[in-house]
Amino acid sequence: MTAVISAKGLTKRYGTQLAVDNISFDIPAGRIVGLIGPNGSGKTTTLKAALGLVPFEGDLKVLGLDPRTQRDALMEQVCFIADVAILPRWLRVKDAVDFCAGVHPRFDRAKAERYIAHTKLTPTMKVKQMSKGMIVQLHLALVMAIDAKLLVLDEPTLGLDILFRKQFYQNLLEDYFDEQKTIVVTTHQVEEIEHILSDLMFIDNGKIVLSATMDEVGERFTEVMVAPDKIAAAKALGPIDERAAFGRSILMFDGVPRAQLEALGETRNVGIADLFVAKLKGTYA
Amino acid sequence: MTVTWNDNAPIYRQLKERIVVMMLEGQLRPGDALPSVRQIAADYQLNPITVSRAYQELADETLVEKRRGLGMYVTEGATSKLLASERERFLREEWPAMVERIQRLGLRVEDLLARVAQENKS
Repeated sequence: MTAVISAKGLTKRYGTQLAVDNISFDIPAGRIVGLIGPNGSGKTTTLKAALGLVPFEGDLKVLGLDPRTQRDALMEQVCFIADVAILPRWLRVKDAVDFCAGVHPRFDRAKAERYIAHTKLTPTMKVKQMSKGMIVQLHLALVMAIDAKLLVLDEPTLGLDILFRKQFYQNLLEDYFDEQKTIVVTTHQVEEIEHILSDLMFIDNGKIVLSATMDEVGERFTEVMVAPDKIAAAKALGPIDERAAFGRSILMFDGVPRAQLEALGETRNVGIADLFVAKLKGTYA
Repeated sequence: MTVTWNDNAPIYRQLKERIVVMMLEGQLRPGDALPSVRQIAADYQLNPITVSRAYQELADETLVEKRRGLGMYVTEGATSKLLASERERFLREEWPAMVERIQRLGLRVEDLLARVAQENKS
C-alpha cells in the first residue's frame, strides 16, 4: 500500500532559521498518528508543508500528490483543523454549511446537519455568538461531513474544557474514523489521546527524535521502580531517564528485555507523557 | 464513561479481561452481541485496532464468534468454557492456601459442609 504521507529529506527554512531539518517518514493508511513536540519544534510547519501551505525543500508526497503543484486535487482528499482556525465572525451556521456544500465535492450536507443537531448550535447562530467550544463543534461538523482520506488536526482541542475535548475525540472515533482514513494530530494534551493513537512521532528542533507504533513503544520502553540495593546493577543497563518518586528511583529503559528488568524491581509500561519528558529533557534543561 | 487502565499490561488484554469478567458475571450471555468495535473505541477512547485485537483474542479462544455482517457474538459454550477454566484456576491457585487455613484453624470438613447445607436451605 502506498503511504498517505511520505517525506524524504523534508526541510523548511524561515530565513536562516531551520524549522524542519531534513526529516523522513512514512504514514500508512488507517493510522492515527500523534505528532508530539514542544512549541516551535516544527510540528505545524511539517503539517503546513503537507497541506501545501508553505514551500519547502525535499520530497513530500501526500496521497501520492505533490502539495506544491497538485494542491487542488489534494484538497479534495484532505481536511484540516488548525489551532488558529478562524471562521468569519459574521458567518451563520447555515451559511457555513451552504458554503461547504457549494465548494466541496465530497461534502455531505445531511451528515453535517445531523451532527449540528446534536449540539447547542442553531442554524441562524453567528460565529461571534459562539463559545470557543461551539466554534470547534461547528468546525468538526463541517470537517466530519467531508469524506476525506486524510484529516490533519493541529491542536484541535486547544482552549477547550475536558468535556468538549472528550466529546471531540469520541465523535471522531464514532462517526468519522475507519481503516481507510488517516488522522494526524498534534496536541500538548498527550495523555488524553495516548490510547487513541496507533503511531507516535516525537519531533524536536526540527528533527524526529522518535517514530514508532504504539505497540513498539510498549515493547521497547519499560519503567522500573528499582530497590536501593539494585541501583548499581540497574544503571549498568544504561537507563535513558531517571527520576525519584516516594523515595524510590524510577529508571526508564529502551530496548532492555522486560524479564531482565523484573529482577530489579517492579516494572510498568511507560506513558507517552513521561516518555516525552525523558526524550526531550536534555534539550531544555 | 471514564475507565482507568493500569500500566502493567497492554490495553487490549485489559479490555479482553473486562469482557471475560462480564461473561462470568452474566452481564454478557451466550448469544449476546458485543458492542461494535467503533462503539467501544469511541466510548473508551481507544484506537480501533486495540479493540479489534481484544476481540480477536476472544475469537481465538472461541469465546466469541464473528457473524458475517452482524458483528461479534458470545458463543454458546463461552460461559461453561470460562467457568471450567476458572474452576481449574481456583483449585490450582487459591484452594491450596484455603485448605491450609482450614487446617490451621482446626475446622472439620463435616462441620463446613453442614454449614453450607444450612445456608443453602435458608
